[in-house]
Amino acid sequence: MKIGIPRALLYFYYGPFWESFFKRLGLNVVISDSTNKAIINRGIKVAVPEICVPIKILAGHYLTLAQQNVDYIFVPRMVSIRKRQFFCPKFMGLPDMVKHSLNFKEKILTCDVVSDNSNISNYRNYLPLAEKLGKTKKDIKIAAQEAEKDWLQFRKFTQLGYPAPKAYELMVKGLNPVKINPKPGQIRIGLLGYVYNMYDPYISLGIFDILQENNVHVTTFDMFSENELRNVTGNMSKVLFWTFSNYLLEAGLHLFNSDQVDGIIHLTAFGCGPDSFLGKLFELESEKKGIPFMTVRVDEHTGENHLVTRVEAFTDMLKRSKAV
Amino acid sequence: MKISFPYMGTVLVYKKLLQLLGHEVIIPPRPTKRTIDLGVKYSPEFACFPFKVIMGTYIEACEMGVDTIVSSGGFGPCRAGFYGEIHRRILKSLGYDIDLIILDQPLQDKNFLKKVKFLKGNNSWLDVIKAVKFTYRLIQEIDRFEKEIYRLMPYETEPGQAKKAWNSIQAEFDQAIDQAGLERAKERSLDILKSIKVHEIPEKDKIRIGIVGEIYVVMEPSINMDMEELLCKLGCEVERSQYLSEWVDHNLLPNIFKKSRDAMFIEKGKPYIGRAIGGHAQQSVGAIVDFKDRNFDGIIHLMPFACLPELISQSIIPRISKEHNIPVLTLAIDEQTGQTNALTRIEAFIDLVRNKKASVNIA
Ligand code: SF4
Ligand code: SF4
Repeated sequence: MKIGIPRALLYFYYGPFWESFFKRLGLNVVISDSTNKAIINRGIKVAVPEICVPIKILAGHYLTLAQQNVDYIFVPRMVSIRKRQFFCPKFMGLPDMVKHSLNFKEKILTCDVVSDNSNISNYRNYLPLAEKLGKTKKDIKIAAQEAEKDWLQFRKFTQLGYPAPKAYELMVKGLNPVKINPKPGQIRIGLLGYVYNMYDPYISLGIFDILQENNVHVTTFDMFSENELRNVTGNMSKVLFWTFSNYLLEAGLHLFNSDQVDGIIHLTAFGCGPDSFLGKLFELESEKKGIPFMTVRVDEHTGENHLVTRVEAFTDMLKRSKAV
Repeated sequence: MKISFPYMGTVLVYKKLLQLLGHEVIIPPRPTKRTIDLGVKYSPEFACFPFKVIMGTYIEACEMGVDTIVSSGGFGPCRAGFYGEIHRRILKSLGYDIDLIILDQPLQDKNFLKKVKFLKGNNSWLDVIKAVKFTYRLIQEIDRFEKEIYRLMPYETEPGQAKKAWNSIQAEFDQAIDQAGLERAKERSLDILKSIKVHEIPEKDKIRIGIVGEIYVVMEPSINMDMEELLCKLGCEVERSQYLSEWVDHNLLPNIFKKSRDAMFIEKGKPYIGRAIGGHAQQSVGAIVDFKDRNFDGIIHLMPFACLPELISQSIIPRISKEHNIPVLTLAIDEQTGQTNALTRIEAFIDLVRNKKASVNIA
């Protein structure tokens, strides 16, 4: 049996768990190709025009998988990974949207994912899949437990400072890497963005590589553990309803206030609702703290040159002021 | 202390409640082009449209010398729950030193009691309860009359009659300050209602349109092209999926005795959107099904441009429309809502609904 998983959205955070989980159930896993023009175009065609770019891309990945001769496509309903907080409505409504607007209803494999922290390996989440997959409760339990170990390993590596795709690779290879620390004199930039924006090379246009080529040390939200960030927003009377947005908020406030970075880049996708508020908060924080801040907004047509120029100009500026 | 609130729907009820509690109330101006321009100018570019209009309203209220604004946080849960946090910061950066009090669901808000105590002022709790009860009845009555108005308006013999009646009815209720006053207002309003002269239209020729969508753009006529009136002028009876009294029923009252209309919408929406995803998406799709069950002929779906949950409903609506055989027109509302363009689309849509009904009648 073949299970399709899109290389999009939370793949860059939970992919290591899901892939491992299905493989350990003895199933074949097909992961769609890295986002490319054809995939995007497929998505644009079916998605409502105003929806955010990552969801358009995701739709493209689903349609691509649907043509790839897989038995099921995994479309989890991400509900909550923190008490009284949720996922962006687009995640919570995803299975509904896919079921009613894309044409592969029979192939949808879905379950609700609920947890009280970012670790979503509780096997009960996945029991609804058992019947379709022809597995027992015990199979599911064991696979989830094993997959959890892989995921924790992956998360450990991102916390050592490796970008998620690299950490994934290190985990699969069973390596034991060392922590990445900024070298003396190196420019340090906080890159704030959702995993699907930062790590999808088509959306981010390889912003990671560009920064690294410019000898920049990069910190992202997923390089922190949940506990490190937990109390950062303590003095706000209210945080956002969406956990990943709050991760960014927490990482952002932490970086603005802990003297760890020389500048901050907010990477956001066109049409993202939560980011409109996050961006404003970062902007105000930057004014208060005097730390340079730049917003990079990508859409389905962003030109690479444009992005490279802006990012390089920003790092040059930081280098100059650091040299003074 | 001068106190105000965001502008949404029949604002006299918010005014009433605050006045009954002894506050000096300033009603913010009905949103105009200027309100929207101000809101757009000072809001994040990609903030939702309701956020921008409310931003503009707050600024205008501040210009009028207001020092306290009361609003509700949880029209969601969605971005709306966070509006206040950003509004407050923006107002501060503009130099307005005001208190923005956001009332949330009591259980989730550590400061709920403090806020309520502040609003309570020197009143006894008994007086507060009385005021709240009275306001609740007031909303229910007003909503009932509003529904009637938009049922009659399409058939009025003299254009403008129903609108005038609606204004007089609101004025009547504005006078009421106690139960007896409310009864009086009710009686007079019934007379006013009766005075509207209407053409007799055979049942089979009546066109009924339901308006569904995000609460702010559904409830606030100044930003949705006066949708109800507009549809009435095109000869349609109109009902919305949201009325203030129902919002109260669903969000503030325990549903022990009767199921709120919202709860029923959610039930009917479930086959399409399996769980609450934020905003009113589930209600929107459920309301479409419900309007169809009640033999409505068409649906206007209103959403703020790029509204997160309503984009999900928008994606699913073509399927619902097909499965339930009811035409639906989705309109995204923002500061650029081109009146003429939207108007053409609405007229064409109503023609389509009318033709569809006519062909069914013949068959
Ligand atoms: S958080 Fe933003 S980018 Fe992500 S799914 Fe929601 S709207 Fe889209
Ligand atoms: S429901 Fe729509 S308009 Fe309301 S807060 Fe959410 S995104 Fe904004």
